[in-house]
Amino acid sequence: MTVLRTGSMYHKLLRTSVGTLVCIVLMSGAMLAAAASPRTASGKPDLSGIWQVLNEANWNLEPHVAAQGAVETLGAIGAVAPGIGVVKSGRIPYLPAALSQRNSNFLQRRTADPEAKCFMPGVPRATYLPYPFQIVQSDTDIMIVYQFAGAVRTIAMSNHKEAPADSWMGWSNGRWERNTLVVEVTGLNANWLDRSGNFATETRRVTERYTLMDANHISYEATIEDPAVFSEPWTMQMVLYRRMEPGARLMDFRCVEFAEELMYGDLRKQEGK
Amino acid sequence: MSAATRNHQIALIMVLLAACLAFRSAGTSAHHSFAAEFDIRRPVELRGTVTKVELINPHSWIHLEVADKDGNKEIWMIEGGSPNQLLRKGFTRNSLPVGTEIVAVGYQARDGGKRAVGRTLKLANGQTLFFESTTTPAPEASH
Amino acid sequence: MSRPARVGLGAIVIGILALSAPLEAASPYRAPRTSWGDPLIQGVYTNNTNVPFERPPELGTKEVYTEAEYESRRNAPAVVETTTVVTDVHYQTSDFGLDPSQSVMVWNPRTSILDRPANGRMPPLRAEAQQRSDAARAAQQAHAFDSAQNRPLQERCLIWAHEGPPLRPVGYNSLVQIMQTRDYVVLMTEMIHDARVIPLSKTRPEFGELKRWQGNSWGRWEGETLVIETTGISDKVTPRGSSVPMGPEGKVIEKITPTGPNSIRYEFTVTDPSLWDEPWGGQFPMEISSDPLLEYACHEGNYGLPNTLRGAREDERAGGNRQ
Repeated sequence: MTVLRTGSMYHKLLRTSVGTLVCIVLMSGAMLAAAASPRTASGKPDLSGIWQVLNEANWNLEPHVAAQGAVETLGAIGAVAPGIGVVKSGRIPYLPAALSQRNSNFLQRRTADPEAKCFMPGVPRATYLPYPFQIVQSDTDIMIVYQFAGAVRTIAMSNHKEAPADSWMGWSNGRWERNTLVVEVTGLNANWLDRSGNFATETRRVTERYTLMDANHISYEATIEDPAVFSEPWTMQMVLYRRMEPGARLMDFRCVEFAEELMYGDLRKQEGK
Repeated sequence: MSAATRNHQIALIMVLLAACLAFRSAGTSAHHSFAAEFDIRRPVELRGTVTKVELINPHSWIHLEVADKDGNKEIWMIEGGSPNQLLRKGFTRNSLPVGTEIVAVGYQARDGGKRAVGRTLKLANGQTLFFESTTTPAPEASH
Repeated sequence: MSRPARVGLGAIVIGILALSAPLEAASPYRAPRTSWGDPLIQGVYTNNTNVPFERPPELGTKEVYTEAEYESRRNAPAVVETTTVVTDVHYQTSDFGLDPSQSVMVWNPRTSILDRPANGRMPPLRAEAQQRSDAARAAQQAHAFDSAQNRPLQERCLIWAHEGPPLRPVGYNSLVQIMQTRDYVVLMTEMIHDARVIPLSKTRPEFGELKRWQGNSWGRWEGETLVIETTGISDKVTPRGSSVPMGPEGKVIEKITPTGPNSIRYEFTVTDPSLWDEPWGGQFPMEISSDPLLEYACHEGNYGLPNTLRGAREDERAGGNRQ
């Protein structure tokens, strides 16, 4: 057996081992990084997938404690879950008259909340409803399909045009700012922003920012500007979580069926007539 | 093709094609039964000024301020078609400004409410509101 | 294989291709590719057409007009409605640009969209299915105006028949948007904004027992053609020609093939042994639209439904008899 000359051979072995180890670490890092931000063929972050929030923003965007729901007979099931709030500055900066409107909305929420009537929720509320949505990112444009009410919108990534008319899901023009998808939404109908009566009008302008934090989380921000309602633009911030379970898919939630009694029950034919 | 024939064709391009009639009944107006909503026994002619235009689906609605026999103002809602084609052709909510005087001839709602379907819609000067329509004459008005 | 045999086989193959290829030339169009290599079919299309869904009975098994017949139909002057008796309580679609002739039309010389059965008309329901359908229809009509839930799905803004599957042209706003990714194809009609998100897979995914309003669909590429298979269409909807829903073996096959830089061919086949003794199906072309697809929010502006119910209640108060 050849006796190893411990000096140079040892150092060579050590260098090789360390070198190999470093290589492995670097390669793993590179692979993890690649897994951390999936990219499309054009090198942009790939946001495709089924996503959902894990917060209580749809109950109330502002910080709030648990509270009785609008329908007492539902007991704890209908109660308002507590939430730490998603408004960056803490409170929504309402103009005084608009704040009165918000408070009045709150009192009528059982019947006046457009969500109860299965109206399309608009932007940004569609993002933080407690239901999944799917981002379909093609080579050119991006479509987002929401499970609730079958709401859907297309984000034009080029050839931007003005909104031809107002609509429930608005008119979306998107662009990339480095690794962030920035979407300007205009032409939105007046709508509520949550179940507590927070609202905005058709003069609002919403700017969304979607940034992949890693393969399965998106940092989402939406800035709302509406001089008819707010004294200044304000921003909400939350995380979108990828639905990971095998077979995850959007299902039908054509909620019109479940809103008809609320909306048209009083027009039902009475028995004996 | 002569100029006359071409003009004839262009003039007719907006009217119903015979070949399309059978096709039309299959899908065009199938959203809901207008006969169930409006009453053919209640023809109306409404002359008034536009107070609001709702370019919405499934049907657009024009709100008209109409003076009754005694000069009292009342608001009527006139039901029309989906605005999507109008929007694609460049119409906007400002194409029919508030205050425009129009004449709507149609049929009143079955429940007697101040709503009507607009069988023909014209500006005060007789011009059709959006597109040239078919030449079907208006019904006798009793309002 | 010997040379004469190969030539013979080649002739047979070409013959078969010529018989089965609808209207295009023998060599199929090869579409540009998406970044991951699938044929590119993404876009907003119109399928507004001059071709009726079913063939006029007098044409028998004639699938396509001759060139001369087609030209004369295209150039025929339109017939003006000259009736002086107005029987239609309805706005005039042409006032709003909603007549099919007022939009870009994808003209083609077919005599009908249906090409199976051979007479281009819907096959009759099986006798037993016809009985069930008649009974269901009578029951529906007896309570047609009792409540919102008694009105047709279309009027309630739940789903419109042309959305399918299978898709078919509809009188106006007849636009379809297709989106593509490596794993999904989305088909969406303007009316009423329903987006079918169809997973692409080599084999049928496991959908479980749950049904969907537009069924459980999955797709795969076969050469230049996207083949979509749909089963599990909900009992809440009824297919064309029937007032009862599809049975457990009901299936719709759709095929989308690019035919040129701005056009695709859409083919469909519907089978359901509980309803029909034979499959039925057809095809129509779609062309890229220069117009955008606009939101058609149906339920949110559906004043017509409560107005209709109010009318029915008023009729009852007045002692009238609603049909």
